[in-house]
Amino acid sequence: MIVFVILAGGAGLLVGLSRQLNGRLALSTNAWESSFWNHIVGLAFVSLIALLAGDLFGGAPLGAPWWAFLGGPIGVLFIAAGSWAINRIGAAPTAMLIIAGQMISGVLIDMAMGIQGQLWARTLGVALILGGMWVTRAAKVKA
Amino acid sequence: MSTDNPPRFIHYLGAFAAGGLISLMLLTNGTLAQYGTLLFSSWVPHLTGTVLAIFVLLTLRPARAMPKRPPLWAYLGGVSGGLTVIATSAAMNSALALSGTIALGLAGQIVFSLFADAKGLFGLPQRMPGWRDVTGLALIAAGALILIFFGSAP
Repeated sequence: MIVFVILAGGAGLLVGLSRQLNGRLALSTNAWESSFWNHIVGLAFVSLIALLAGDLFGGAPLGAPWWAFLGGPIGVLFIAAGSWAINRIGAAPTAMLIIAGQMISGVLIDMAMGIQGQLWARTLGVALILGGMWVTRAAKVKA
Repeated sequence: MSTDNPPRFIHYLGAFAAGGLISLMLLTNGTLAQYGTLLFSSWVPHLTGTVLAIFVLLTLRPARAMPKRPPLWAYLGGVSGGLTVIATSAAMNSALALSGTIALGLAGQIVFSLFADAKGLFGLPQRMPGWRDVTGLALIAAGALILIFFGSAP
């Protein structure tokens, strides 16, 4: 069990590491180029893993709806935005705003798709996140 | 460095909007994983993303900030991203389940970002996290945990 806790926490560290490295690349180049290298190097890495582990095309992947293949273009914008923001507001504010955006949009998507949820938890969760964003932002605006 | 780019509302808004993109990617890539393998659901967005990124670079031709090339290790963000997929999928299939995996992932991300800011890790602008950062992070983490564990009733 402790192995999986380390893996899950480690995945979070890797997300931060990736954003930091892409941010460094954007410092020398620009956010779009940083996003390009992130994707092409990631593609090479995942392809290598697929060659070693096999089973890349298992199942019925072509049965997926067309829009499911659009994650890549969204990811390009996501990595570019992260590389752009981290050099301007810092790693911690970038991480917390991305988390806030992910959580609040997740609630909205759940509600739009009619997924049942506990109203008190959604209200309290979103309120705490909005409060956290307000506290953080108030720090830098006066400068 | 940070004085060259004073934080503005648009930067905060951009990071917040980027978080919304993750939710969309969870939808697209999660759907792919229902039809194909987990590797496929990571391979496809990397492939289509590379194609779009090439198109963007050729169309916009964004200028480079510095003529000097960055160190080689700065190009390894994609490897770190690929490893994330593997670590996450292993943890997700354990007793941690999706909610526990996401919660621990957020914790790891927060710890790393505070450390990275305090050190100015890899040559990024250094900024000592203040009480507002810590309070804000605590509130957002608390809200995220409530949403992850109680937000959608089984």
